[in-house]
Amino acid sequence: MPFIAAFVFAYILWLILTAGSKGLLWSTQELIAGLIFAGIIGYTTKDIIGEKSTRFLNPIRWLEWIAYIPVLFWGMVKANFHVAWLVITGKIRPGIVRVPVDLEEDAQYTILGNSITLTPGTLTIDACPKEKALYVHWIDIPEGMERPESSEPVAGPFEKWARRLGK
Amino acid sequence: MGLIVKTSARAIIPLIGIFGAYVVSHGHLTPGGGFQGGATIAGAGVLFLVAFGLSEMRKHYNKHLYSALEGLGGLVFLGAAMLGIGTAFFYNTLWHNGPILNGKPGTLLSAGFLPIMNLAVGLKVFTGLVSALVAIAMYRRWKS
Repeated sequence: MPFIAAFVFAYILWLILTAGSKGLLWSTQELIAGLIFAGIIGYTTKDIIGEKSTRFLNPIRWLEWIAYIPVLFWGMVKANFHVAWLVITGKIRPGIVRVPVDLEEDAQYTILGNSITLTPGTLTIDACPKEKALYVHWIDIPEGMERPESSEPVAGPFEKWARRLGK
Repeated sequence: MGLIVKTSARAIIPLIGIFGAYVVSHGHLTPGGGFQGGATIAGAGVLFLVAFGLSEMRKHYNKHLYSALEGLGGLVFLGAAMLGIGTAFFYNTLWHNGPILNGKPGTLLSAGFLPIMNLAVGLKVFTGLVSALVAIAMYRRWKS
């Protein structure tokens, strides 16, 4: 039922947008209008959001998403300082590397690709589910890492997280 | 487009849609309104067209439905304007003595016929913009 997933996500965004219409909560009018509009949006986008999207309604997965936020944030902080160091010293060794990954779902590729892009110094060029690989532009390739065997040197722990979050 | 763009578009299109619906339906309370919200929702349609391509858009786009909805938006706007024709054209009779939409100012159901007109304009702008852009995308070929 992709309708349920689209409806729930649309209604959650509606609740965020209209919070505060009655004190700090929601007035009845806003809640009912949100049901109507989220119903329309869910009905019109049920073919778009994907057949298996209801798996993201699992509350355990939401907790995992929340647990992922500090991991990603810490990775971004570390990588930003690393890139600042590269900017100051100017010693870079750029190149595009092919990173083999062990993922199945489209969502897993998207999460991993976006995480790699968000951590500076690495930029996802392309995701190829057919050959189970990502093409990543790396600003400073360490010696001997031109053909990595796994995503560990490029993405750190993100592949593990992406596999779990997008399952 | 690539896999990441497609998957992100799947997730984002419903959110753009509900945000556009929020802008349209709160046109009398917050900045925005019919045109802005309709253009926002049309942005979701354009994102679908760009991310998934024209062949996928052909399956989801119905020319007659969009044309009819655009006409309906215009007619609803005119109908709301006609409601108070006993006094004057565009007379906001729903606000002065109508049964609904005359709540306390600041709530959703206030401002008379303005929410109806915002919804009508939003529907018209959304369907019109999407129809225009799909028509341009379907234009036969590059040469002649």
